[in-house]
Amino acid sequence: MGVYMEKLKEVEKRGVVGFTEYVRRLVVARIFSEHGWPEWLGGILLGLINILFLAIALKPFTIYSGFLNWGQHFYTLLGLDWATGKPKAIPLADRTSVGDIGLLLGAFLAAIAAAEFRLKRIPLRDYLDAVIGGVLMSTGVVLAFGCNWGGFFSALTALSGHGFAMFVGLIIGGYFGSRYVEWKSMRLFEKALEEIELSPEASEAITNQRAIPRWFKFVLAVFLITAVTAMTWASGGPHYAAMLLLGVGVGVVLQRARFCFATAFRDLFRGAEQARAIRLQTGIALGIIVGATGAAALKYMGYIDPYIYIKPVSFMNILGGVLFGFGMAIAGGCASGSLWKAAEGNTGLLAALVTAVLAYPLLRPLRDSLVQNIPYAKIFLPDALGWMGALLVIYATMFAWILLVHYIAYRNRIDPWR
Amino acid sequence: MVRFVKRSENLYLLDVTGYTCPYPVIYMRKAISKLKPGDVLEVVTDNPPSCENVPRAARDDGHEVLGVERVGDGVWKIVIKKRR
Repeated sequence: MGVYMEKLKEVEKRGVVGFTEYVRRLVVARIFSEHGWPEWLGGILLGLINILFLAIALKPFTIYSGFLNWGQHFYTLLGLDWATGKPKAIPLADRTSVGDIGLLLGAFLAAIAAAEFRLKRIPLRDYLDAVIGGVLMSTGVVLAFGCNWGGFFSALTALSGHGFAMFVGLIIGGYFGSRYVEWKSMRLFEKALEEIELSPEASEAITNQRAIPRWFKFVLAVFLITAVTAMTWASGGPHYAAMLLLGVGVGVVLQRARFCFATAFRDLFRGAEQARAIRLQTGIALGIIVGATGAAALKYMGYIDPYIYIKPVSFMNILGGVLFGFGMAIAGGCASGSLWKAAEGNTGLLAALVTAVLAYPLLRPLRDSLVQNIPYAKIFLPDALGWMGALLVIYATMFAWILLVHYIAYRNRIDPWR
Repeated sequence: MVRFVKRSENLYLLDVTGYTCPYPVIYMRKAISKLKPGDVLEVVTDNPPSCENVPRAARDDGHEVLGVERVGDGVWKIVIKKRR
């Protein structure tokens, strides 16, 4: 880094020509470097985008209703819409779906700019885990009224009580997910690497892959984003185009900060990625603090309906969190995770994504009978605690959570910021 | 599938492309356990977080990390020297 800063200073002295070089270096060496962005910055940016999205879309940024829309379109084509219901709008005129499409495109762009896009094939057995994970996640979303976004992150920023219930469930589900992954890897460990091949050229064979030039893929991604923005503007108007671009922003942040909720909850207590899980949890908590502050302001000022996105809560939300947490841990990514990881070429999470899109519209009707048969309550925190009280509860819980995860790091003798 | 290749007398290659966390770390530990002190292991991965956690795990186990380099779009090579 020291050498880099000196070069930057040298470049700055050279004036106008140096400035383009300065910008190029800033973009390539910082924004799209292979080191990515720190998780705390990712969390804060996601909180800020969450506020903007709420102000423009009049609903928080969520993921799964977009999957519902896509799946309903698919089942309508097959003539099965009697089971799933008809879609309310085309994908480019559905607020959640537009955000999801933006997320895919943004993550694709970021992965290409950072030279991290690669079609990854995973072992066959892991595709099975991805599919099972996709079904479990969809079931969890039915019970918890949303995924990590709609049921947890955006729920808490909307000051709705159902966010706390899923939070508890995610911690439990993530823990069981880590035990499963551990069990599976112990079995693999015993059988693995029994044979050693002899081949001096092996390394060259792996690295000398012919690839499409990066500039070409980058131009393609920019063109795609421009074209889809124009199409969205044409079909839904400028508000929808703005939502798409905010989705692009979410995708870029998620990919650059490698903001993986699955890792955050799976490796929190144990596991190979515990250090990153602790940094991610810190980022998530900071994002909720930022997002809740902005959303509370918008609601308090009457800019949006205060009761937007207040969903029912009962013990079923905790169970939903457990199922979702376990599902994302074995699939290797949650809803947003399967979007941004599929966009960087991970075919395993593409399988999880397709499964979720196909499973959710079929499971979603169960929620109606659930709501009728189980005592649910809707908790809007400011109604119970007042506006200041609600915000203070969010701040206190999130700061306590940051302290707790760092205590876990201390007990496990790891330095997450090393 | 994981490939474990002997490239020369003291140089081994572990190809874990396609595997995401936590498997690269697990396979790295297994591969290292089969080497002699002083042998060098190259771990090839296409999972970006492994560029952080494979070297971290190797250092925690007392080995020397000689380098992490990008060898293509979305592919990295981590070079580890077995210490004990």
